Amino acid sequence: MFILTKFADLVQISPEDFSKHSIVAIEDNINAKYANKVVQKIGLCISLFDVLWTSEGLIGHGTGLVNVNVEFRMIVFRPFKGEVMLGRIRSSTPSGIHLRTDFFDDIFVPYEELPQGAEYNHSEQIWIWNFDEERLFYDNHEMVRFQVIDEEWHDQTPVGPTQAEDTPAKTPYKIKGSMAAEGLGVCLWWDGA
Amino acid sequence: MKVLEAQAAVLTNYEVLQHLTQQKERYKQRKRRGPPNLETVVRELIQYLQSYPNPLSQKPSTYTPDCISRLLERLSPYELSKGEVVMILNLRPASVAALNTVIEEMAERFSDEQQEEMVAIISEVLGQFDAAQGSANDTGDGAEANAS
Repeated sequence: MFILTKFADLVQISPEDFSKHSIVAIEDNINAKYANKVVQKIGLCISLFDVLWTSEGLIGHGTGLVNVNVEFRMIVFRPFKGEVMLGRIRSSTPSGIHLRTDFFDDIFVPYEELPQGAEYNHSEQIWIWNFDEERLFYDNHEMVRFQVIDEEWHDQTPVGPTQAEDTPAKTPYKIKGSMAAEGLGVCLWWDGA
Repeated sequence: MKVLEAQAAVLTNYEVLQHLTQQKERYKQRKRRGPPNLETVVRELIQYLQSYPNPLSQKPSTYTPDCISRLLERLSPYELSKGEVVMILNLRPASVAALNTVIEEMAERFSDEQQEEMVAIISEVLGQFDAAQGSANDTGDGAEANAS
């Protein structure tokens, strides 16, 4: 679920941070820039893991900023294809089930990835799996096990004035999941037995 | 920003939780806080990793720093892929049905006895939920869902 990614970046320490130890200032700077943010084709950055190398601090003309080149490793959330994870059901629509984890919201299981015999109940707005005469419910807030089958990236860099202003922003990183295989779906179904 | 190496290593949930709790301790000792975005994601991630049925929610923890190498050693005869072992560490499958989800084509690769053996090794090295604790947590979840 998590990987380490090696980055190189320029860290600018502003004068009000000079009272901090350099390493603390660098750590805070990197975390402020990366934590809880998606880097395209890399994943959701969580936290700085360690600093591998730093250059000397250099002060340019005009500003009092100290410029430091840093190489560091980040903890990144990036489940691999085929990985089985836990998540919670956020909501259900006829097109599928939206899942979330506490820290990541954009997981979608389309209806064709639900097990055979699953049907959508419009009055309750939930999916139901008809299995051996039994009706099993995909209730909201239920913990489920799902398998990652695909990922979608949307670069959010502005493209310029041609972009219509009211187009809704697409989520930068979206995971597509499957709950069709045996053992996947609501945890209680399998663990209770 | 430049990416030097997209994937330098794979971490298990246990290692991530270790790192985050140590970081939290360190911040507390120095009486300082991280940037707000870091605080948010760390709080949410710890909450995710410590909610039932995630094996890390069990108190006291059954995971130890050397359990990863011990598990690798015990499972080496079965020639599992790296991804499969990572998932076993993260999910701790407690039954053959649960193991089936994390191991590809399990029925073809392993006999029934081997599957049982693997489940036994996993619960021996990584521990398991006691039946009582599991049901206690279930009712807790139920009450929470009703309240919301």
